[in-house]
Amino acid sequence: MGRLLRILLNSSGLFTFAGLQLLCLYLIVNHNDTQRQIWAETKSVYGSTLSEFISDKLAFLDVARENEILRRENAALLARIPGSGYDTSVDTLPVRDSLLQQRFTYLASRVINKSPYGPYNTLVIDRGSNLGVERGQGVVSDGGLLGIISEVTPRHARVISILHLDTRISAGLDNSAFGTLKWNGRDPRRVTITDMPDYVPIAPNDTIYTTGYSNVFPTGLPIGTVESSEPLPGTGSQDLTVVLLNDPLLAANGYIVRDLFKEELDQLNRVR
Amino acid sequence: MTTAALVNSVLRFFLLLVAQVFVFNQIAWGWSGKDYLFVFVYPLFVALLPMRTPRPLVILLGFLLGISIDFFSETLGLHAGALTFTAYCRPLILRLVQPRDGYSIKAYPTAADLGSGWMFRYLAFLLLAHLLAFFSLQTFSVLFLTDIIIKTLLSLPASLLVLGALILIFNPRA
Repeated sequence: MGRLLRILLNSSGLFTFAGLQLLCLYLIVNHNDTQRQIWAETKSVYGSTLSEFISDKLAFLDVARENEILRRENAALLARIPGSGYDTSVDTLPVRDSLLQQRFTYLASRVINKSPYGPYNTLVIDRGSNLGVERGQGVVSDGGLLGIISEVTPRHARVISILHLDTRISAGLDNSAFGTLKWNGRDPRRVTITDMPDYVPIAPNDTIYTTGYSNVFPTGLPIGTVESSEPLPGTGSQDLTVVLLNDPLLAANGYIVRDLFKEELDQLNRVR
Repeated sequence: MTTAALVNSVLRFFLLLVAQVFVFNQIAWGWSGKDYLFVFVYPLFVALLPMRTPRPLVILLGFLLGISIDFFSETLGLHAGALTFTAYCRPLILRLVQPRDGYSIKAYPTAADLGSGWMFRYLAFLLLAHLLAFFSLQTFSVLFLTDIIIKTLLSLPASLLVLGALILIFNPRA
């Protein structure tokens, strides 16, 4: 600080001179006609070139801010694209019937994300806990099963597809024989039913239905048709190969199944 | 700064102002509609300020005298700018024309103190700086460089002559 002060004091003459000279130039340009004209001419000739040069050199200083502005604008524009909207209309139709009390309701949803095809397929739908979607609810699609809800956020839910190695669904024939539906991870059009008693007569093209025992899907929803059966010696059971009615990989819509009796049935399951 | 020097400086300020404005501003000689020869006497005020005057004060006084002359000559800023520049250059010129054994502490920048030869060189350099600055500001463009040089070359001897005469007549000691 002391050094700076000394430098300032030592060059006080220079500062006085510079200040007064600038004042003089200002007075000259503003109070003398010839000089004013020359100054205006000079300014018009060199001024634009100079300011262009300076703004060119200084343009990069502003890039970060400009970029931020453009990104915000991009975000605002992207938000206006129809596909970025979240459909808030609720398509669920409970049926009023005095004889039948409503047990399952269906909530329409769109598939908005799918995992790449692999042994563990999942997908994301655009309905969530805001509309009563819960973990463990089933999702059916046009004419077949799609999967089971595994994660729920306020607006979205993740679905474990039936084409997922961990999926287990209770499925059976219309004669009440039932087994466990799982996927072996090989063919996305075929699933396997295990633990089906081997004395049950099976014919090809028999229809496989959901049993409703797991409270995930309603009873009697068609899943697929039997392609072949293979008894497993020594276990008393047979494996059925089932061709799915729908193609879960191509599903664009899903109906979330909500079991209105779930709590009641859960109570029963808790009491052993 | 002694009282005598102070009084002399104040007197010179006003006398040179009056002399420049009412006498020497009327002198202008040239050809083909342009004036090329002017006489400047007021730089003498800056030249004769005591040696140890603080530099900012010299510059400020130069500015004040210049702006006063400008007020009477309707050239606001011209004389002021030139004399400010001259005042700024004064220490440099003093160093340039320094005698071999330097200035004594009590010396005044006068012919009586340092000799007429020294005074002549000192005034010549000071006037050169002043005239160049003045004519540059007057033409206000490097396009008129020849004009600036011709005006300086003609005005320098004339002004120097008048200043020499003034110093011979008054021969100030401080």
